[in-house]
Amino acid sequence: MTVLKAELLKRLSDGVVDMEEEAVIETCKEYVEAGYPALEGIMNGLVDGMNRASQLYEDEEYFVTDILLCSDAMYEGLAVLRPHLPSSEAEKIKPRGVIGVVEGDTHDIGKNLVKIMLETAGFEMFDLGRDVPLNSFVEKAREVSASFVCLSTLMTTTMPGMSTVVELLKEAGIREQVKVVIGGGPISKKFADTIGADGYSHNAVEAVKLVKSLLNIA
Amino acid sequence: MLTPIERLSKALKKEKVDRPPCICPGGMMNMVTEELTREVDIDFTEAHTSAEKMASLAIAVYEKGCFENYGVPFCMTIEAEDFGAKVDMGTSIHEPHVVEYAISSVREWESLPKMSFEHGRAKVVIDAIKLLKSKGSSVPIVGNITGPISTASSIMEPVVFFKELRKMNKEAHQFIDFVAEQLILFAKKQIEAGADIIAISDPSGTGEVLGPKLFDEFAVKYINKVIDSIKRENKGTIVHICGGMNKVYEEVNKLNSDVLSFDSIVNMKEARAKLEDRILMGNVSTYAIEFGDPQKVRELTKKCVDDGADILSPACGLGMKSPIRNVRSMLEALKEEI
Repeated sequence: MTVLKAELLKRLSDGVVDMEEEAVIETCKEYVEAGYPALEGIMNGLVDGMNRASQLYEDEEYFVTDILLCSDAMYEGLAVLRPHLPSSEAEKIKPRGVIGVVEGDTHDIGKNLVKIMLETAGFEMFDLGRDVPLNSFVEKAREVSASFVCLSTLMTTTMPGMSTVVELLKEAGIREQVKVVIGGGPISKKFADTIGADGYSHNAVEAVKLVKSLLNIA
Repeated sequence: MLTPIERLSKALKKEKVDRPPCICPGGMMNMVTEELTREVDIDFTEAHTSAEKMASLAIAVYEKGCFENYGVPFCMTIEAEDFGAKVDMGTSIHEPHVVEYAISSVREWESLPKMSFEHGRAKVVIDAIKLLKSKGSSVPIVGNITGPISTASSIMEPVVFFKELRKMNKEAHQFIDFVAEQLILFAKKQIEAGADIIAISDPSGTGEVLGPKLFDEFAVKYINKVIDSIKRENKGTIVHICGGMNKVYEEVNKLNSDVLSFDSIVNMKEARAKLEDRILMGNVSTYAIEFGDPQKVRELTKKCVDDGADILSPACGLGMKSPIRNVRSMLEALKEEI
């Protein structure tokens, strides 16, 4: 007997919320074998679960460690479903973003969280990692025609690097095409305004809303 | 007039003091600035590997009127390096940091070496403390260790580490227990060398990252294991935790340290209300000290005292580019009050 699609979608979503990697993988296989559309499995199953997890994070019921485990389950599920996307979907261009922790700083937990949330929201993210040379942000943004760059730091000493990236984008002549959003422990809206960044977000969930509003995406 | 060590000892015993002490422990809570290194002509990158330079710089912090303590080291990579992580010694404005991990999963913990106190940078720290002790002065010496969670997550990729706290719970406990045992030995060596107080900074083990359950299960458990051993040596302990505490006040209150120190994101007044009888240290904004002016730092210092801080300190240590005049204005503000 074929299990109803709605039932499988719920299991996918719950599996992500409950951080059950193995269950998500098995359910994805079952979903594919039943011949249901991969895109719907991703959006109404996996991504739905990740969005619920984000809400729990915002409500302070879930914490960073929980989100990391939820995202593992989501990514494992994506690996199963993605090959089954119709080519029109798989090749669809998503808005692109470059993300990294600025040079001199290695604290990247927050950056990783933002990346997960943005990928969940449908952005294609290019992660430069931590302690990233400032010019690399500009080079990568140009190379992939990014719509936005996310910069993070937890240390006061490395904050001026964010300002440098804004200047380097201007020098490269691509500042108009690339929105700059910043975040991290010592960062504030005021600092973002001072260095001419386009926005500041104090957490990963807010970062998604911020990027969407800057890019006029509903 | 109380000497710095008398004032801090009294504050640690909750006895009456003329004014709160103003200290910055060292370790993760760095108290060296680039300007200070230039004034005393010591290359910051060399102060991490030379006991003489480390001690001289620690002395300069006190003598230049910044803080009322000596403290070493100036980074949080001593332990991780001993466990096999590769460390870049940084620059004149960047503290040393880990660039390569020793293991890739908690289940590999048995392959880790034990800490060595006969050579390497742990020995540099111990020797620096001996040099500071030989001065026989009235300035308290703070020895620093990196907390169990932060040390463990410097030996391997933190994202994997945090996930494995759940996924490989048993091995994660074994790993962190091993790390804590080694940290205890390091703390004891520092005490033997002459440290008056041990500060334990565990900035990675925050309530925001772990949530209350894991914070209790891992951070509180193993930090307390370290503290309880130090207490048996009759030395004072300070614990510094980063991040917000809204969700973990109850768990933080289980930490057995004499002193609790927080991030500037924590409202001191609220912390005072939630942690009524604890000795609280903090939390003048690191950001304001680096980018504000002396007047602003003075105001924040006085507000901290009014809000209930027993010991004044920069919230998360100092940014390397903080102007000395801003740093000094903390202590100046406290002296003005008497």
